[in-house]
Amino acid sequence: MLFKNPPQAMNAELFTLTYGAIVRQLLTDLEEVEEVNKQLDQMGYNIGIRLIDEFLAKSNVARCVDFKETAEVIAKHGSSWLSITCFVIIGVEEKKSRIEICTGIFLEDNPLVDFVELPDTCQGLYYCNVLSGVIRGALEMVSMKTEVTWVRDMLRGDDAFELQVKLLKQVPEEYPYKDDE
Amino acid sequence: MQFFGGSEISPSPPAPTASGNNAHMMYVFNRNGVCLLYREWNRPLHTLNAQQDHKLMFGLLFSLKSLTAKMDPTNAERGNLGVPQLPGQGCSFHSFRTNTYKLSFMESPSGIKIILVTHPRTGDLRESLKYIYNLYVDYVAKNPLYTPGTPIRCELFNTNLDQYVRSIA
Amino acid sequence: MIGVGKVKQYSNVLDKPLSKGKQEVSLSAFAFLFSELVQYNQTQVDNIAELERRLEDAGYAVGARVLELLCHRDKGNRRETRLLGILSFVHSTVWKVLFGKVADSLEKGTEHEDEYMISEKELLVNRFISIPKDMGTFNCGAFVAGIVRGVLDSAGFPAVVTAHFVPMEGQQRPRTTILIKFAEERSKVRLIYVPGLIACNVYDAQQEHDECVNALQQHGEGW
Repeated sequence: MLFKNPPQAMNAELFTLTYGAIVRQLLTDLEEVEEVNKQLDQMGYNIGIRLIDEFLAKSNVARCVDFKETAEVIAKHGSSWLSITCFVIIGVEEKKSRIEICTGIFLEDNPLVDFVELPDTCQGLYYCNVLSGVIRGALEMVSMKTEVTWVRDMLRGDDAFELQVKLLKQVPEEYPYKDDE
Repeated sequence: MQFFGGSEISPSPPAPTASGNNAHMMYVFNRNGVCLLYREWNRPLHTLNAQQDHKLMFGLLFSLKSLTAKMDPTNAERGNLGVPQLPGQGCSFHSFRTNTYKLSFMESPSGIKIILVTHPRTGDLRESLKYIYNLYVDYVAKNPLYTPGTPIRCELFNTNLDQYVRSIA
Repeated sequence: MIGVGKVKQYSNVLDKPLSKGKQEVSLSAFAFLFSELVQYNQTQVDNIAELERRLEDAGYAVGARVLELLCHRDKGNRRETRLLGILSFVHSTVWKVLFGKVADSLEKGTEHEDEYMISEKELLVNRFISIPKDMGTFNCGAFVAGIVRGVLDSAGFPAVVTAHFVPMEGQQRPRTTILIKFAEERSKVRLIYVPGLIACNVYDAQQEHDECVNALQQHGEGW
């Protein structure tokens, strides 16, 4: 069993509407859609580096060394546990340069986008950009530097939400102090 | 799924075996070696200033981890001594004991290290450290006013920690 | 690819059936998202009052939408027109949808006629928080106060809504009280929303109530 205790649940609507309020605040504050995308990714990253500890504390996962395994565990169980959506890894490929790539797809309703339609003025917006940030932040805390990009986005007319997670490198733990200090 | 079942955090704390005042001090480090928290309950002797003390503790753990992994007779894939490891890689130690104190250690795969120094006769504290990690998650990581990587100033965490540590035997 | 066909596509968000509100996320997902809302807004302000105002604004937007959603889904397009009706709607229906429970209490202020208080022993947004001393009386409940103001304002009851910590005897943690002060002109505003019934303020309260109910039944479609 991955989790010792089922997480406490709440109605998704407060979550959905609060996220909407955040995006609206950003659009007002930053004006440029590109800046909003960046800020959403940054906010996701900030969430990811906190969320990883909750995930680790409440699951039985003791080590995260193998990328495939970790990406799968974190992406699949992590996000379905958050009930954000059911995120399923559909393919893992190993590239020549030893960069590994995982592609994930959301099968179920994505509560972030309930009630959402992009107006003409926001066509460049990646409304769910917070999710890619969350995955990047969470993986970075377990020593994996990744690049996360959207492959498909239903708000932009695609038939699914799809993310690609590319492992850039694994960062070992180093002694943080200089010897002579 | 459960709806807002009160404020107790999960999992529930391991049952105390006897009440006592066994804890001397506790450290929490993050993956960059920053001491997020130092808490002291009973420490009559201080020999170093706080900063040196934290650095020494972190260095001790860092070397000890590397040494214990190097000595591991069961693992064929071990690195050379001093070669950096990924957190969670290799074997890991969870406590050592001297004639005057016992040090218990836990490291999460995200590099959060929790160190608890207690009376030498305290039992296995692995579950207790996990519980403290859970307290950290609820009252530090989820505190909207806490900025990750900065020293912990969360009253709610400290109160719950003090209360819990008093129950450790 | 596996399962892609399972996702229904709607060309327009209005074609999509309105969700029944049964979908769930974990409490922590919300806690982390809310933390980020607070952290982001901290970078945009110079003082606590401004931070609370920004959180309240974010809440207001949520509140206005919650009212639309609930009136449409749960009340057959009807909206409360009585003061006590809307207050109990906030205290029970809105609270239940947002926080999974009815609020701990709804009381009338003793000092002022137009003041009401909704109290919660452990408000969701304050559940994991420790307020550092240098932040004084800062209360994340400003977000919830904003939600309440959004609901009331959109229903035609403009009010000033604020969140306060109230220490409780024998309790370690203070409870959060949402203080609602209705604006003076509320009766006029309320009646403007009742088509054809502007004149009814000469009737007595019971009559007014009955009229409103009748009007609502006739005008059920619009609001």
